[in-house]
Amino acid sequence: MRGGRQLTAAAALALAALVGLAGCGKKAAVRPACPPGQDCVLIGNAAELSSLDPHHVTGIWEARVMRDAFIGLTVDDVDGNTQPGIATSWETSADGLVWTFHLRESVWSDGAPVTADDFVFAYRRSLDPKTANETAALIYVLKNAQPVNAGKLPVEALGVKALDPRTLQITLEHPAPYLPELTKHLSMLPVPKHAVEKWGDAWAQPAHYVSNGPFTPAEWRLGDYMKSVKNPRFYGTAGVCPAAVYYYPTNDAISAERRVLRGELDVSTDILSNRIAYLQKKAPGYVRVKTWLGVAYASFNSNVPGLNDPRVRRALSMSIDREFITGKLLRGGQLPAYTFTPPGMANYTTVAPPEWSSWSFERRQAEARRLLAEAGYGPGHPLKVEIKLRNSPDPTLFYPAIQADWKSIGVDARLAQVETQVAYADYRSRNYQVADAAWIADYNDPITFLFLMRSDTGAQNYSDYRNPAYDGLLAKADAEADAKVRATYLAQAEQLMLSDAPVAPIFFYVSKNLVSPSLSGWVDNLSDRHPSSQLCRKKD
Amino acid sequence: MASFLLRRLLTALPTLFLVITAAFFMMRAAPGSPFDSERKLSPEIERAVMAKYGMDRPLGEQYVNYLKGVVHGDLGPSLKYKDKTVIEVLAENFGVSLTLGLSAIIVALIVGGTLGVFAALRQNGPIDYLASTLAILGVCIPTFVTAPLLVLLFASRLELLPNAGWNGGAPENLILPVTVLALPQIAIISRLVRAGMIEVLRSNYVRTARAKGLSEFRIVTRHVLRAAVGPLVAYLGPAAAGLLTGSLVVEKIFNLPGLGKFFVISALQRDYTVVMGMVIFFAALILVLNLLADLLLAALDPRMKLS
Amino acid sequence: MIPGSPERSQMMQAAKGRSLWDDARRRLLRNRAAVAGMIVLGVLVVLALVGPSLTGVAYDVIRKDDVWLAPLQGGHLIGADSLGRDLLTRLFMGLRVSLAIGVVATAVSLVIGVAWGAVAGYFGGRLDETMMRIVDVLYALPFIFFVILLMVTFGSNIVLIFVAIGAVEWLTMARIVRAQTLSLKQNEFIEAAQAAGLSRLAIVTRHIVPNLLGPVVVYVTLTIPTVILAESFLSFLGLGVQAPMASLGTLIANGAQDMELAPWLLIFPSAVMIVTLMAFNFIGDGLRDALDPKDR
Repeated sequence: MRGGRQLTAAAALALAALVGLAGCGKKAAVRPACPPGQDCVLIGNAAELSSLDPHHVTGIWEARVMRDAFIGLTVDDVDGNTQPGIATSWETSADGLVWTFHLRESVWSDGAPVTADDFVFAYRRSLDPKTANETAALIYVLKNAQPVNAGKLPVEALGVKALDPRTLQITLEHPAPYLPELTKHLSMLPVPKHAVEKWGDAWAQPAHYVSNGPFTPAEWRLGDYMKSVKNPRFYGTAGVCPAAVYYYPTNDAISAERRVLRGELDVSTDILSNRIAYLQKKAPGYVRVKTWLGVAYASFNSNVPGLNDPRVRRALSMSIDREFITGKLLRGGQLPAYTFTPPGMANYTTVAPPEWSSWSFERRQAEARRLLAEAGYGPGHPLKVEIKLRNSPDPTLFYPAIQADWKSIGVDARLAQVETQVAYADYRSRNYQVADAAWIADYNDPITFLFLMRSDTGAQNYSDYRNPAYDGLLAKADAEADAKVRATYLAQAEQLMLSDAPVAPIFFYVSKNLVSPSLSGWVDNLSDRHPSSQLCRKKD
Repeated sequence: MASFLLRRLLTALPTLFLVITAAFFMMRAAPGSPFDSERKLSPEIERAVMAKYGMDRPLGEQYVNYLKGVVHGDLGPSLKYKDKTVIEVLAENFGVSLTLGLSAIIVALIVGGTLGVFAALRQNGPIDYLASTLAILGVCIPTFVTAPLLVLLFASRLELLPNAGWNGGAPENLILPVTVLALPQIAIISRLVRAGMIEVLRSNYVRTARAKGLSEFRIVTRHVLRAAVGPLVAYLGPAAAGLLTGSLVVEKIFNLPGLGKFFVISALQRDYTVVMGMVIFFAALILVLNLLADLLLAALDPRMKLS
Repeated sequence: MIPGSPERSQMMQAAKGRSLWDDARRRLLRNRAAVAGMIVLGVLVVLALVGPSLTGVAYDVIRKDDVWLAPLQGGHLIGADSLGRDLLTRLFMGLRVSLAIGVVATAVSLVIGVAWGAVAGYFGGRLDETMMRIVDVLYALPFIFFVILLMVTFGSNIVLIFVAIGAVEWLTMARIVRAQTLSLKQNEFIEAAQAAGLSRLAIVTRHIVPNLLGPVVVYVTLTIPTVILAESFLSFLGLGVQAPMASLGTLIANGAQDMELAPWLLIFPSAVMIVTLMAFNFIGDGLRDALDPKDR
């Protein structure tokens, strides 16, 4: 071995060689997909798309692409609010069950007219068990949707009818004031009947793709990017800024963040929470943080001895230092959560947080110890719980803090970190004690959160919460045509559920986007929806 | 020669069979399924999905069906990329891994070879020290340490190079990942070349050549280098395997759309068919590369018998 | 090196005598890099064993005010991590875990490899052919993929990491041991033992295995760093040891995430990892040179 002495000198030499090797790089950002002066937008879209068929995808990142390609009866504006889409107007019957939509005159990207028939076809396809649409359950509010989806009724039995080529009638199971919200959802996006009938599932290949929205998918290189080009036949194409949109599967939020800062991408749809403060300082004007309709919560498995006692669950919930988690660990503007439904929800009223939420942390800890003692747990006989958490950045950051909080009230808490896929399988089969879970609104209505704890929700009611009073209130709300009255029923239900604490809400999500200041048309909003058609690169 | 090839093929088949079998049952034994997500599927839909992919059958039958498919060159549809077959997924990503691997091996051969030659010619000179230091560092500094450090330096601090992304294989995007991949290989190759050359330089026929008054340059290029190539070629088979492993990390860190990145993602998402396809592909690739290395070795050195 | 070469078997035969081991020790101690490696490794082992209890704070204690404190602030010699935990303590702990994984997994590979290789080499014939064919087949597997599959299948728990990596590393050991056994078999003392009526199994366990020490020791010192690397590699892909436990790999992976904000989280664990690997490699190379005078 000769190394040793000369090691330092040689290491310096090696480094110099490396610098030489790297020296040929240029300083300018590389945007071969979109050279300066061209109107295109490059989006770091978090993950790879599993399909380009709106009825075959489920993810938020996939919905983003689909909403740029298709316009449903209603559509998001730049604020994420609902505005008329293919339907220009609609009316509701007095009992709130029959909705009639009047469609505008518009065409698909291949020139074929968009008709009410296309929507009938799309909704039937969406619920056809053969389509295996994973989000079909969201539109079970449509008449007969559930039996159709279960294969018990033919698709023709679905409560949707084309009165004429430009009039669509939808019949519901029960009044749902949120239907115009729902018609923006993946499961209710139209698909081109003529193309699907011609190509089968292959219609969703870029080569055969037909869409009715501002963009049409044109090129997809798996793992690299998916490129959509402007659809000149879209009815609002005059107001569409970019000529093309590129969606990059940027699995690693940190590397995506560096690419945005370098100008290689215009947007990254995710930032790790605890980097936000740093980014705000390093790149002022890039960070876009906004309250989002989502909640991170811990779910207690009520089948587990100990956790079946509401006092124990309350004790665990009140001893979580949510302010430390949001203020010191995540630091991304998340709000500590003491209720389950996020603030700002449409069709809702405010729900009062539990009384203890205003106490000092020490007082909460003392009360938690008292509750545990009451339930029979104490120093000689500590409560033992295992927290199962998903192996992703945020949970792995704040669950150790929850573990420490629980240890400090005498609970023997352990962490078990598993892969995301395994975590969900375990939650479903109730193979857990405390679960790290989260829920993002599918549409802007409290029921998208509150249905989780209904006893007939099944696997997704992770805590197996069963309370007939809660179910009764939700049923009353479903049958209620008056939106205000409905909201009070829902609020009562949530209040009831919170006092039983089947879950411990931890914090409300924020949407965290990194947006280049050279991009205009990005408006922060509660639904975190930003139509690409309105994004515009400022001319340099 | 023919019998050698035949024998190698006969070992390759059980290897592949074992690979398929082990991977198939391990993947299926893994908890979680490709269809688990935040949102629970209704039982009817789940049944329809399972039927669509033939996963409603008993495991043994699925296994036999899978084997039948493989024999016919059909690796099935991807369970996660619903509009793609496994072959398409492999084909779309292999190019990236190949570009990375080939570039890294070429860089490593050039840099490592040069270092090794000069180190051997000037033993205990500065280049020799540089080479041996690099060799130690190359072996001891793992790729997942060099990669972030180089990103920190060249992308974040100096802002010379992009820190991630493929961009159609633009040279700027290739520099960092290829450097990271090549470093350990440079280390090993320079060591191999140095050792091989020193041995030859001391041999009798080099002494004879010197005595005949041949110039040092001619001796090195004509005789020494040729002899030193042998161990290098023998090393290329295992090197390819090493590059594959390295590219797992490199593709992840630099977010490159290669097979390594897809393998990890697919394994985590339980995309059974894609994982299986990749394992089979890699196993076959390693078998072929080892075979090629042996053939090349035999062609270079007639004394070596194929056995 | 070519295991089983004539020089080596002579050397191994002589290894019976004390003088060769004395010789080897002297040569090893003359090798400055190897001696430095041994000293560094000794220090690292001591730190791994007692370090976590010397810092006065446990590796998983969260100090709510110390999130991302830089080195030398708030009583953290080399800083605190994203949860306000003391990095030095976690580094010692990580070192302990990594070394433990290295040693245990290598032991697993040692046991399987030595048993497999010795049996195949000694019994020879059909058995040998079958056993080594199995090794050949396993060799061609893309192993890192199988380790990933193993972690995915059985979840990442520390015992499994030991077993998985150990099970991968035994193949080379088996080959080395077999070749060594083949040449040992020809030796007179084996023939003597056979003549004395010892059972074949007894010969393998009492005479063959103890005489494999030299090459096995060299290979072991080179396997430990490989295993440490493999574990870190898994940690880097998110399949390593469980939080809040740490290994060098998880520390580096987390440090790489936050490297712009808190470079110390990447630099210190990386440095310890590199020093550890170098120490092992220097010792391994030194041992090889010392035990095999041919290269001198």
